[in-house]
Amino acid sequence: MDVNVRVAGEAGQGVQTTGELLVNAFAGMGLHVFSTQVYMSRVRGGLNSFDVRAADRELFSARRSADLVVALNGEARDALKADVAPGGVLLFDGKADPPVVGINFTETARQVSQSGLMANTVAAGAVFSVLGYDVETLCDYLAVEFKKKGPEVVEKNVNCARRGAELAREVAAPSVKAPVGGRPVGKVYSGSEAFALGAATAGLKFVAAYPMTPSTPTFTYLAALADEYGIVVEQAEDEISAVNMICGATYAGVPALATTSGGGFALMVEGLSLAGMLELPIVIMLAQRPAPATGLPTRTGQEDLKFAINAGHGDFARAVYAPGTIEEAYALMRRSFETAHKYQTPAIIMSDQFLADVRKNVMPLDAASRPIDRCILENPPADYMRYAVTESGVSPRAIPGGPAFVIVDSDEHMEDGHITEDLEARVRLQDKRLRKLAGMAAEAMPPAVYGPPDAAHLLVCWGSTYMPCREAVDILAARGDSVAMVHFPQVFPLNVKAAYAALSGPGAARRRVTCIEGNATAQFAMLLRQYGVVGDCEHLLKYNGLAFTGEEIVGRILR
Amino acid sequence: MIKKIPSDMDVAWCPGCGDFPILETFDRAVAAAGIDRRNLVLCSGIGQASKLPHYTQANVFNGLHGRPIPAATAVKVVNHSLEVVVTAGDGDTYGEGGNHFIHAIRRNVGIKVFVHNNQVYALTKGQASPTSDLGYVTKIQTHGVAAVPFNPIAVAIALDCTFVARSFAGDKEHLLATMLEALKHKDGFALLDILQPCVTFNKVNTYKWYRDRVRKVDSSHDPYDRMKALALALKWGDEIPIGVIYRSKRPTFESQLPALSKGPLVSQYA
Repeated sequence: MDVNVRVAGEAGQGVQTTGELLVNAFAGMGLHVFSTQVYMSRVRGGLNSFDVRAADRELFSARRSADLVVALNGEARDALKADVAPGGVLLFDGKADPPVVGINFTETARQVSQSGLMANTVAAGAVFSVLGYDVETLCDYLAVEFKKKGPEVVEKNVNCARRGAELAREVAAPSVKAPVGGRPVGKVYSGSEAFALGAATAGLKFVAAYPMTPSTPTFTYLAALADEYGIVVEQAEDEISAVNMICGATYAGVPALATTSGGGFALMVEGLSLAGMLELPIVIMLAQRPAPATGLPTRTGQEDLKFAINAGHGDFARAVYAPGTIEEAYALMRRSFETAHKYQTPAIIMSDQFLADVRKNVMPLDAASRPIDRCILENPPADYMRYAVTESGVSPRAIPGGPAFVIVDSDEHMEDGHITEDLEARVRLQDKRLRKLAGMAAEAMPPAVYGPPDAAHLLVCWGSTYMPCREAVDILAARGDSVAMVHFPQVFPLNVKAAYAALSGPGAARRRVTCIEGNATAQFAMLLRQYGVVGDCEHLLKYNGLAFTGEEIVGRILR
Repeated sequence: MIKKIPSDMDVAWCPGCGDFPILETFDRAVAAAGIDRRNLVLCSGIGQASKLPHYTQANVFNGLHGRPIPAATAVKVVNHSLEVVVTAGDGDTYGEGGNHFIHAIRRNVGIKVFVHNNQVYALTKGQASPTSDLGYVTKIQTHGVAAVPFNPIAVAIALDCTFVARSFAGDKEHLLATMLEALKHKDGFALLDILQPCVTFNKVNTYKWYRDRVRKVDSSHDPYDRMKALALALKWGDEIPIGVIYRSKRPTFESQLPALSKGPLVSQYA
């Protein structure tokens, strides 16, 4: 069983603080937690919500209805009334008429702690009471969480939590059935934290970005990790500068990353092409948002697939990864650096607001993984040529400051890196660069199949849609449907052979195939069709700025 | 011995181009400054000035138009034991890359930026540049340039750039001395704007035009006096001051990065 708690209010009211408090406290109780956020592009006001779903089994998706809504203002109360599940409860910060339960969190916090700031702790106490959880478990968590801030802060928080629970009992708030915790499961991470940790452990030494939602949390976590891992974090004057900086940084010899969203990536495109030409191992994290133009800055979408694959003038090799889970955000960030360095060409890793903000407890990610191999030629000979023609297309890469000159040019160049208009050299060097694609394609990640591979109905997805799609498969399988998911963690180069094996082959004609993605034009289905991997499949699309949920996918499939 | 121009190089400059004396003087300055060329990185953009790195001996990052400064900034941050010099034109530095010019000066990153300023876009065949004078007529600006010229010296001083100088390609001894001062600058970002006649497309700002106007900054000038430096920076037209115009002392970008306290980033890779 699972329970879904939705905290909602305006920006600046502590929606996120309350939500994070519940996530961490529930995780500490041995529950599996899955939390998502929906917010507006503003610093104050508006309507933001933070969902905390907890269960006695692993979760992969949010849920439309909430068993317990905590409304921090009147707008949230009115807007979210319809979200309350049958038998659910709506708590409101203030006076209320039944069935809404009124508890004045802010006023209570003022009475107990002489400040309204701890209203979120009062609310959390009330939530614990309604769910039938022992508020002392919350208090234990608060004691650990606020230990650094001193005993006075701990005591005030504990008193606020206890008072919140008392008030819920005093006003006789109905109770909500909630799952029972077990042994604590792993550690809570957000997708953004996993991306950052993946990059830091990979050996990142230089990250440049111009802040842009939803990539900014990863940039911020990297700044928090910078001292420990020895990373230079530079807020560039614009995205053009950021991408050219990471080109310079990789040329000089260290792994480097730029984080951005669609509009910023658009500005980086010339630099992406530069990295292709100079054969530099840059990594760009592209956290998509619904577009075109500025679009919906704080909402989610998967609209930049074609853009990521095709960005840049001219032909050059690249790898594009699309992690589906928190664990994959970490692992594929590392893999992006590995591929970029092995093949000396850009790698792009795709995210979106849903994946960036999702919080969940997973097996601890290794914070001490070994840095990746930069594949640097340590002692180049005196007649070293940066772009020596090789069979694999990969030329030994030296860095400046050693015994040989390292010469790179955005113009077409000779093997030694110097500018040329020798058209035979042009073909020779372009062929050399593009030969890397063969090696990259041979190493491309196969799609992951979840469920019976010979299922009658295949749900195909890429990137963060893994999560709701996986829940949909579980719901459908529990009904007795023959269904499986085929998820692509790498969208370029495509592992065509494995994709074909998963989606085509014997019996394919009798199968139902549905491509599920967060855009309006079925970009991934088009890509699969381009490679002849799928034929005339069904499309299940969403582009209203919100993530799919498992139950929503099921509902739309069965409709 | 450093070759002046590799004999197998197909040099793309016109005979008489102001870039030749800049290249020749640059090689002399590097030798005089005792710089080990293995530790020298030349970053350039696109344009005739940006081809200079191909005609000498050094590590080369010949990147995109307008973008040598961000690349050079990162090279310096990643390996601050390298000598990093940007050699680019007025279009690269003041036009396409104007934003980077501003912010690199703010950072005070320890790179030297040598701008070949010929007041015209030569590689694209003669359009106005950000430093073209008012009224300058081209095939595009047929009624003459209507926007006031960008004043790199004054902008740099306004941003408290730690080294601001101007020289002239037609006075190689002055250019050598000024380049040497720039290369010796240890306090961060150094701007050297070099007046560079374009013999093909700029028939106004010729060697003679510059020679009649350049005035060496008087030895009594105190480059640390910001207001006097600004007064010199605002002079243009009948008299064009050349020499070290402004200096300032403030911490370099590299010195403020905690990650570099254990030595160059590139040597910290485990």
